[in-house]
Amino acid sequence: MRPRTPRVVDGPAVGGWAPWLFLAPLLVFAFVFFLLPLGFSVWLSFTRWNPLGAPSWVGLRQFEYLLTRDDTFWRTVVNTFVFAFGFVAIGVPLALLLAFAFSRARGKAIWRQIYYLPQLTNIVAIAYLWQFVLDDRDGLINRALGAIGLRGPDWLTDPTMAMVSVVLVMIWYDAGKNMLIFSAALDGVDRAIYDAATLDGAGAWRTLRSVTLPIIRPAFTFVTITSFITGMGFFSLILAMTGGGPRGATEVTALYTYRMAFEDLRMGRASAGALILFAIIGALSLLQFRALRERSR
Amino acid sequence: MSAPDPIVAGETAGVAATRRLLSGGALRRHAGGVLKYALLALGAGLMILPFADMFVGALRGPADVYANPPRYLPSEPQWGVYARVFAELPMTRWFANSVIVTGLITAAQVATSVTAGYALAKYEFRGRASIFQLVVGAQMFPFFLFIIPIFFLLRFVPLMGGNDIAGQGGSGLLGTYAALCLPFIVTWYGVFLMRQFFMGIPDDLMEAARLDGASEYRIFRSIMLPLVKPAIATLTLFSFVYHWNEFIWTMTVTRSAPELQTLPVGIYLLQGAFESLDQKSLQQAALAVSILPVIVVFLALQRLFAASDTANAWQGGK
Repeated sequence: MRPRTPRVVDGPAVGGWAPWLFLAPLLVFAFVFFLLPLGFSVWLSFTRWNPLGAPSWVGLRQFEYLLTRDDTFWRTVVNTFVFAFGFVAIGVPLALLLAFAFSRARGKAIWRQIYYLPQLTNIVAIAYLWQFVLDDRDGLINRALGAIGLRGPDWLTDPTMAMVSVVLVMIWYDAGKNMLIFSAALDGVDRAIYDAATLDGAGAWRTLRSVTLPIIRPAFTFVTITSFITGMGFFSLILAMTGGGPRGATEVTALYTYRMAFEDLRMGRASAGALILFAIIGALSLLQFRALRERSR
Repeated sequence: MSAPDPIVAGETAGVAATRRLLSGGALRRHAGGVLKYALLALGAGLMILPFADMFVGALRGPADVYANPPRYLPSEPQWGVYARVFAELPMTRWFANSVIVTGLITAAQVATSVTAGYALAKYEFRGRASIFQLVVGAQMFPFFLFIIPIFFLLRFVPLMGGNDIAGQGGSGLLGTYAALCLPFIVTWYGVFLMRQFFMGIPDDLMEAARLDGASEYRIFRSIMLPLVKPAIATLTLFSFVYHWNEFIWTMTVTRSAPELQTLPVGIYLLQGAFESLDQKSLQQAALAVSILPVIVVFLALQRLFAASDTANAWQGGK
């Protein structure tokens, strides 16, 4: 034993400055690319700033304008909510249904690779691929409907259908990932529990309700909340697929504030808008978390 | 800034359990089996459909799109479209930029995640709990919050890109590879992932090495690092996929710097060039080129860690 190592007896206590050296990149990054931008963003939201000039302090006026006078802002909040809600309400049960089939299927590797394909694809390609498929006149879907004598809807040019389309594409994009999370949770269920349930005379439905669903509840809560957060802040798909149109029907708040910043050059108001959206997401996620946890008791 | 989930990697462990499930209840299995595979196949068809549509579309020639009614299947597949993509679009440039940016970010993320995750898992020091809370908490902040402030922080870096000492007058780091990479060199999620893996490795190994007089760096490099190779493979894969596909940030900082655009951004910003009907096939071929490298890398790397005990390491770290 050497005298250089005096305190090795219990636990990882030695190392001196070593952990700080290992953590140095993270700490610098946390300051420069996390804390500083957040602080900058909050400060900007109290200013009026076109980056060609100097920012001027306006107090809470940007918040007041967005919340009380900007109808477009509220319309985008509603769109954001419809998009995220549609995505979660249809996407999560669908992923769960697929997971039930997937987790007991043969050839898992192949199914997994196919369902994971959209996750590997860049969002621009996804938007354009679906633009081609959903094209009002020459798209594959409306051609197929036409072949059996039906007139397909205007998927991307009708305001209501455009929202339906972006929600469906978002579900398609994320289904594989959520399916695999649910499937991992289902695989974690011990076979012995099912055997015990069968011995006790529980039928398939009762087993599902009383054994399977409670066990995968943590995964369900996780997928529901993360999907909701993703949906509320997701705008790259919409930007590339519909550009927020037609006539603002698919314009979500994140896209609205992005444009406010980089097209209208209103940095202060855009920062305020982004912070309001963040607050809405935080509040709704907390509510969901509470609701999903309460029900499990 | 969140990356895809690692569950996919850790999921292989369930295959054995599935086999056991399949062996029981032959009758019910038969009835449910048809429905199960029908559902999976229907879903798989929908997953593949847009990709198939793209490959077919890329091969259409002017004769097909201007026919009345326009033909869906190309009468004569135009395989030359893939050569045209490289000849008529700045494809080589985009491709090179995608490789450079993705490579730099992935390397940086793996390096910072491994070191920080190791420190958080294997050392005890004041402030460890708060730093870990930061790592977990920071993942809750959506990326759209950071676009505006980081854009201007990079724009006003003093003494860079023609800026004076107060950060005025020039364009700062905008228009450089640094602007594309720096905001992503640390991934909170990656740090969290690596910490979980290191937690699963017993401390005895470190202590034995310390008794032998090994330096802290040597313990990390020669003993701990080789043990988390599967985790590194997982993180590499997810970083690569995420940043090859990254779109919003790269578009924001390269809108006026075409020489820095990556594949998705280049294709998006060149929309105008694809407007006429017979250019659609060119667009579809370009999209195919932007997608294929990820699929190839994914399939290659997936085999690499399907064979490893990633699943166990992930479980152990919890």
